[in-house]
Amino acid sequence: MSLLGLLALAWDWGFFTENWDELLLGARRTLEASAIGIAGAFFIGLVLGAARAHRVPVVSQLAGIYVEAIRNTPILVQIFMLYFALPQVGIRLDAFTVAWLAVMIWGGAFNTENFRAGFEAVPVRYREAGLALGFSRISTFLNVTLPIGGRIALPSSINTYISVVKNTSLMYVIAYPELTTTALQINALTLQTTETFAALAVGYLVIVWTMSIAIRFLESRLALPEDAR
Amino acid sequence: MSLPDWVGPVAEYIFEVGLVNTLKIAGMALVGSTVIGIVLGTLLTIRFLPSQALIRLYIEVWRGLPILVTIFMIFYLLPALSQQLRIDDPLIAAAIGLTLWGSAQVAEATRGAVVSIPREQHEAASALGFGWLGRHGFVILPQALRRLLPPMVGLLVNIIQNTTIAQVIGAPELLEASERQVERLTFEGQEHAIQIYGAVMVLFFLISFPLTRLAAYLEKRLI
Repeated sequence: MSLLGLLALAWDWGFFTENWDELLLGARRTLEASAIGIAGAFFIGLVLGAARAHRVPVVSQLAGIYVEAIRNTPILVQIFMLYFALPQVGIRLDAFTVAWLAVMIWGGAFNTENFRAGFEAVPVRYREAGLALGFSRISTFLNVTLPIGGRIALPSSINTYISVVKNTSLMYVIAYPELTTTALQINALTLQTTETFAALAVGYLVIVWTMSIAIRFLESRLALPEDAR
Repeated sequence: MSLPDWVGPVAEYIFEVGLVNTLKIAGMALVGSTVIGIVLGTLLTIRFLPSQALIRLYIEVWRGLPILVTIFMIFYLLPALSQQLRIDDPLIAAAIGLTLWGSAQVAEATRGAVVSIPREQHEAASALGFGWLGRHGFVILPQALRRLLPPMVGLLVNIIQNTTIAQVIGAPELLEASERQVERLTFEGQEHAIQIYGAVMVLFFLISFPLTRLAAYLEKRLI
């Protein structure tokens, strides 16, 4: 109780007005890197997930290696590799590029699995029906497998996007000034640790909880009718 | 074929310091997450609004925050609140941060597993005279734990990989240990970052891959 009392005494609302612009800029950078990463992860997941589900020769095997390599190694080591190790062979990426590229590669691997599972959950008879009606393999995919399998994969893929947003916080190690890095820099100057972490926690929870609510909403809106399963 | 001279000391340090500390953090976090998660997850199935709301909040907060932020909170925010809450050992701070996140995951999985046990099992246990504790301890949880095993193996993989985040508070786990070696060699005028971080990735792969296979296998066999 005394701890809470002390906290209430020392609490400084001014912190939030003084550092508002900077924190907002950090949050914007977090969302920017996340948005590029999510868009790329969506595209990678769609293409490689389809290749995996339809067992497209060569592409499917390569995608499998990519997925296992990324999923079984820590993303933080991947970031170190991109930012601190690649310059050794003359590849120098700036912090922003590493920020979106690392989460894109990581999210793409998880999304490949999400979409593969979604496409594989589409009953074979639907695909056969499409082919029997004279649709080519590509148009069967676009008109039958994608609309149904994509909907099945949607909730798990949004979970991956939430992780992508959270993983941008790891860009602290390469000093890319997203939300976490910005907040900790402000903390180093002001030493208002309580207020800093309050701002940081609220920032992330607002983003993550909004996305979680979006999943629930989409799940209920896009749920397949019972007889389509 | 013999290895270059720089490899020996680097490998020795990475294994003896890095790997040992990674396993220490992962072990503490796994035990903490399992115990706290199973208790909270089971309590969450009791229809009592205040406790459900509190546990829900716990789960959503620690699942929602990036683990990096949680670990920073333990290491920097706790001592700012009170000197008695200071945790000097970054290994412990990282383990606590990972436990908060991991226990939220386990709690959610446990709730799902307990709810998935048919109602008749509860009723049969009650009919045999078991109270709430006996019913859950002897009848429901033993069955739920079986269904919990695949997600627990998955959690172990995630915990092991996420121990690398302890690097940011200077815990000498695998990533921090290898970074120190990369920097030492760079200071001596040798660049071997790709080889060293590459080896660390291979090491993580060798630990994680069999476990993810095991999780997939258990999921097929146990459900």
